[in-house]
Amino acid sequence: MSRLALGGGGGGGSTSKDGGGGGVGVFDITPHKIAVCHLIQVFAPPAQQAVPFPFQSIAQHNRLGLFLFSLTRSCEDFLEPPLEELINQLKAVGGLVTNWLSEHLRSSLLALSSPDDLFNFFDKLRVVLAAPEVANVEDDQIFLDPNSHLGIFLRCCILAFNLLTFEGVCHLLTNLGAYCNSTDSTYELPEDDDFNNESEMHDLLDVFDKYGHEYGSETHLGESSSLHLHAPKSACNFDEDNNFTEDNLGILRSRWQVEGYLNAQADFLEKDANSFPLNSFNAVLMQLQKIAPDFHRVQYLQYLNALHHDDYISASDNLHCYFDYSAGMEGLFSRSSSPPSDILLGRYETALLCLGTMHCHFGHSKKALEALTEAVRVSQQNNDDSCLAYTLAAISNLLSEIGISSTVGIIGSPYSFGTSTGLGTPLSTQQQLLVLLKRSLRRADSLKLISLLAFNHLALAKFDLKHVKRPLLSFGPKSSTRLRTCPVDVCKELWLSSNVLTEFGSDGLSLSNDNGAFSTSWLKNLANATSPWLKNSQKSRHSLINDFDVFQFHAQPSPVPGSVLQLTGASYLLRATAWEHYGSAPLVRMNALVYVTCFADAASSSELSLAYAKLIQQLAVFKGYSEAFIALKLAEEKFQSVSRSCIQLLRLQLLHERALHRGHLQIAGQVCDEFGALASSVSGVDMDLKTEASLRHARTLLASNQFSEAAAVANSLFCTCYKYNMQIENATVLLLLAEIHKKSGNAVLGLPYALASLSFCKSFNLDLLEASATLTLAELWLSLGSNHAKRASSLVHRSLPMILGHGGLELRARANIVVAKCYLSDPNFSISEDPYVVLDPLSQAAEELQILEYHEMAAEAFYLMALVYNNLGMFEEREEAAASFRKHAIALENPQDEENPLTCGV
Amino acid sequence: MTFRENYRNELRAAIRQLSDRCLYSAAKWTAELLVGIDPDAPPSSSSGASASRATPYSSSSGTGGGRTLHLHRHREGSTSRRRIRSGAVDVISTPLAGVSYVSTPIPDDGDGFDGSGDAYLLAKSYFDCREYRRAAHVLRGQAGRKAVFLRCYALYMAGEKRKEEEMIELEGPLGKCNAMNSELASLERELSTFRRTGAIDSFGLYLYGIILRDKGCESLATSILVESVNSYPWNWSAWSELLSLCTTSDILNNLNIKNHWMKDFFLANAYQELKMHEEALRRYECLMGVFRFSDYIQAQIATVQYSMRELDDAEVIFEELLRTDPYRVDSMDIYSNLLYAKESLSSLSFLAHRVFLTDKYRPESCCIIANYYSLKGQHEKSVLYFRRALKLNRKYLSAWTLMGHEYVEMKNTPAAIDAYRRAVDINPRDYRAWYGLGQTYEMMGMPFYALHYFKRSSYLQPSDARLWIAMAQCYESAPLQMLEEAIKCYTRAANCNDMEGIALHQLAKLHSILGHSEQAAFYYKKDLERMEAEERQGSNMIEALLFLAKHCKAMERFDEAEVYCTRLLDYTGPEKETAKTILRGLKIAQSGYPLMDVDHFAP
Repeated sequence: MSRLALGGGGGGGSTSKDGGGGGVGVFDITPHKIAVCHLIQVFAPPAQQAVPFPFQSIAQHNRLGLFLFSLTRSCEDFLEPPLEELINQLKAVGGLVTNWLSEHLRSSLLALSSPDDLFNFFDKLRVVLAAPEVANVEDDQIFLDPNSHLGIFLRCCILAFNLLTFEGVCHLLTNLGAYCNSTDSTYELPEDDDFNNESEMHDLLDVFDKYGHEYGSETHLGESSSLHLHAPKSACNFDEDNNFTEDNLGILRSRWQVEGYLNAQADFLEKDANSFPLNSFNAVLMQLQKIAPDFHRVQYLQYLNALHHDDYISASDNLHCYFDYSAGMEGLFSRSSSPPSDILLGRYETALLCLGTMHCHFGHSKKALEALTEAVRVSQQNNDDSCLAYTLAAISNLLSEIGISSTVGIIGSPYSFGTSTGLGTPLSTQQQLLVLLKRSLRRADSLKLISLLAFNHLALAKFDLKHVKRPLLSFGPKSSTRLRTCPVDVCKELWLSSNVLTEFGSDGLSLSNDNGAFSTSWLKNLANATSPWLKNSQKSRHSLINDFDVFQFHAQPSPVPGSVLQLTGASYLLRATAWEHYGSAPLVRMNALVYVTCFADAASSSELSLAYAKLIQQLAVFKGYSEAFIALKLAEEKFQSVSRSCIQLLRLQLLHERALHRGHLQIAGQVCDEFGALASSVSGVDMDLKTEASLRHARTLLASNQFSEAAAVANSLFCTCYKYNMQIENATVLLLLAEIHKKSGNAVLGLPYALASLSFCKSFNLDLLEASATLTLAELWLSLGSNHAKRASSLVHRSLPMILGHGGLELRARANIVVAKCYLSDPNFSISEDPYVVLDPLSQAAEELQILEYHEMAAEAFYLMALVYNNLGMFEEREEAAASFRKHAIALENPQDEENPLTCGV
Repeated sequence: MTFRENYRNELRAAIRQLSDRCLYSAAKWTAELLVGIDPDAPPSSSSGASASRATPYSSSSGTGGGRTLHLHRHREGSTSRRRIRSGAVDVISTPLAGVSYVSTPIPDDGDGFDGSGDAYLLAKSYFDCREYRRAAHVLRGQAGRKAVFLRCYALYMAGEKRKEEEMIELEGPLGKCNAMNSELASLERELSTFRRTGAIDSFGLYLYGIILRDKGCESLATSILVESVNSYPWNWSAWSELLSLCTTSDILNNLNIKNHWMKDFFLANAYQELKMHEEALRRYECLMGVFRFSDYIQAQIATVQYSMRELDDAEVIFEELLRTDPYRVDSMDIYSNLLYAKESLSSLSFLAHRVFLTDKYRPESCCIIANYYSLKGQHEKSVLYFRRALKLNRKYLSAWTLMGHEYVEMKNTPAAIDAYRRAVDINPRDYRAWYGLGQTYEMMGMPFYALHYFKRSSYLQPSDARLWIAMAQCYESAPLQMLEEAIKCYTRAANCNDMEGIALHQLAKLHSILGHSEQAAFYYKKDLERMEAEERQGSNMIEALLFLAKHCKAMERFDEAEVYCTRLLDYTGPEKETAKTILRGLKIAQSGYPLMDVDHFAP
């Protein structure tokens, strides 16, 4: 048995909590760093003229400097690159000089063959840093400022070398040998299996005798040589290649760089999880964990990876593992290092917060609430105010996202929020939500957590948009309240949330600003420029993560951290949504466009696709379906790999609308079924999706004249919306009910619904919906008989400015037809006096309906036109209108378009 | 009996061959087994002596022989008691259930010992002096299987030694320990070539197996090791490597191993690892039929009994072991755990003193001392010794868990969690560590978070009532108040033979809180029966009686109610008065009309 024979002396290493005795060191000195040091030496030789020996121009010289700077800061990977890659990059930096430079580098690294050579090398490095004597400083003489970035790097290297024990120096030498030789073996074939092992052994032993440690490295070489053949390191991104595990020496970069790498990966994961295949990224992380077992952040990444790939079990395992080891001390949101004194306490409330958000992500709302309440309790107990603020925000997010009619059954413990607010009475979910948001906001404000503040403002804006504020007290003197939402409040909150752009300095967010992303992308571009054969593979990735990298090549790095950009962007997206509700089409378009153009870099793919969806919806409403479908095709290509939920939904919406307009009821029914499948609670409950599905179901039934069924669906939908306090949806549903009754000929029954919808619209400031409700009201009055034509006409004319200014094609056409009908049914109106009062709106409507392919209404418009022409005695025009009427009526009767749009493209 | 003599011959040859190849640990194990065989002829101390004399290559033949005699002297006195223990199984010296053993021929070892024998002797001496590379160098170019094995083994050992050194040298800022045995790759290449050409013996296969395991190719390693033990079953090191690869019973059942009596040792040990205690015990007791004096089997039986919480039986065996082999350190950590559980301070201190004098730099010794300090309540010192044990063997599972317990005592929860987590990472099937994690989080007031750990723990050990009770208590705790779930857990616990009877009582209580009075009465009754059987008294008893009395009255089972009430009258306190009131009420209800004179007669 090996272990026993070695005696009890083995098993070195200590537990992590040994006080980190060895961990204080600056960083490891590695062969790669020696190479960089060597290049710095060439870059800034002591006491030389402006353009030192090998360089031909200042530009070239500066370029090398920039390259070195980037090398020490890039966070592209966690392993140091092999020499070959360094030399390739060096060659890309430019010119003939670099050929000389790379040869020089290689030969001088090879020359370092004994410990003494290393000592001499570092001695010489010290000269680079020594400031020149003041007497003979000349203007254009270069020297390295010891406090510059490169100067500090150099000093760290020298310090790290000086701290090395002799064993350490020997290790360094061994690694250096392997580092230099790895390039040679790159092109070698892996050894055959039937090699003559005797002689090989002999040779190896000889080598071993001579150089001591060289032997060990040689075997490393044998391993790596075969792996080198797979792909050059720069090319292998984790999505292509799993087996770079034992590539190069497996030496970590500095802690700073590894952290930067992990942060960058976490950002990418959250933005676009689909470009990270679960297993291969896990393999990368395992590799990192093997090399650096005490680097617990890796487990957090594993958790994120599993989370975004919907792997519940491994997400939960990794989450628990991460917090068991780190005790919440690695600071997920407070990047500023916490004082080490409270290490004895641990901050497990963070763990609970994460657990809660994880359950929330997986749709386990009950478990999420349990975890988050516990987080509230523990963070109150441990006086962790910032965690408390974040937790409250998370709870309010949960309450607003997930349809919970009341929290009573779920929280059900004496620790529920109702009592903890100090108000004795039980609160409704919405009121609790408001209280929580306010609490979180206050805390975030006092703790100067800027990004949380921005988030809370956003959440409040969302709340104000959809809810009427009611007094929290249900007793005592009642102040008079206007039961209306307040758009000014929404705008104010949105404005406050975008304030984060100017204030992000104080949240510790500025620390993450300097995350080496610029250096990383600089180096990446370098690789792209030099290796044209890589361009294809890179291009596909580029299209996913925008053109950020290309832009960054010459541009300054963005001074704003990505998280801030994301929050600000979200405020613009919310603005677009708000205007959608308030009914201003141009402002919707504008805000969505601002988002797509300015914040696309920081946006996650789902948010970006949402903005695209909004734009395409606008296109469909204002320009008709053919244009919308062209745009949709482009968007689908852009978000190909993304879970296209947003785009997919949009496609179904468009298909449904078009099918209804064209009268393809069968297709509409199919699309409805698709909606139902999407809204099924298998993958979590999305109330918005659910309401939309049943709304569309009711509309399909209405279109096929199944009035009682449609009314039943709409009624049950109304009940649901009422239960979950979804007032805006209520307005829509009521309007739909009014429509159903109008169509079924029960105008009297329809009137109260239309009026109710109208009042909902008024109290929520839904101007466009209000206009459309008014229109419906007018139609209802009209259908009650010609003596109500006057009233209908005044109603229509009141809403015309809104409809014509902001309404879509359908709404405008409907309004025009109603205007015409009002005139026609007015007994006092004589057509011969001013026929164009009627004909103009009708032809306008007909034109717009033709764009929409809305056969039913187009037929109606043409029918009316034909009647008018008939009255006027303009027979030719009458025939023309009649022919058009006939065409649309036939198209409505037998839909000729047999192809199923669900299966074929569009 | 001849088969015993056969065993002896096999073992003697094996010891020679193993120690000839410098596989000392396996040779030690085999030699211990050899002297453990029940003497069938009238006991001859000469047989032991001849055994030791017959191993000329044994590195420590002098002391070994002496120790054998020493052991025997002690044994004579103790056989009578052992006879009694193993008397039941004495007859069954043949394998279980009629399985017949496959006899494996002892391989001839005359492997090219003419010219190159000298070089081999030199290499072996170098190896014995731990100059591994020199040993390998001496044997370069030798083609004999034995020489090739020793060369490869020496290289492997050199690599291991270097690896251990590097682990200490390379402790970088991120605590990296990616030190690899640098010889693995070349050795693997060489051995796989040998294997393909068939020029490999079972020892070579063993080496190949452990190299593959170190490289992480576990399934291949398993099949190679199986090949090795099938061709040469006496190499215990190969068996124990194979054991470490059998992490689930599925792997174990799929192994294709020839029936040899060594397989029984392996299976017994494997069952023990997989917590199939009954099966392990049965195997060991079978083996006792032949190897009656084997300390190894005795120690294993004691360990199994300890895991089955049969502390007294285990203690007897451990005491016996220490008497026969006073310098023993192996499995003494289990003994110390046992003494800890029995809270016998003086025996534990005696044991600690003894192992300290024997070899203080053994992880087991450190663990024993740490246990002693823990029992004394000096947790800081205890942690110090646990750390030392872990420094000596980083994968010492129980030390991590026990250190976690110490940190919990010291209220250093993050350190405790870290320690438990490391135990779990070493062996994810260690339910104690999962339980410890859950307990720590529960202590910090995070019952919901703790649930995850208790779930893991009870998943691994579903028959342990304590785990279910812990889980139930989490559900029951004030912040969660999930009583339905708590009831489910308590029901599981009650079905798992809950020793302390917490489950029944809690079940009754929870049911009565939730208003399920039928179920509550059922469980109170069961709890009452249990308490009667164990002759316990106390507040639980009163509570049960009171509830049952009220319940029976409410259900109009007056006779029963009366019985409970009269029993309650035995206790003092407010309940007595309540019982009287109930009795009075009973009388009234029974007679149908108010009985005035009851009041007068009441004391």
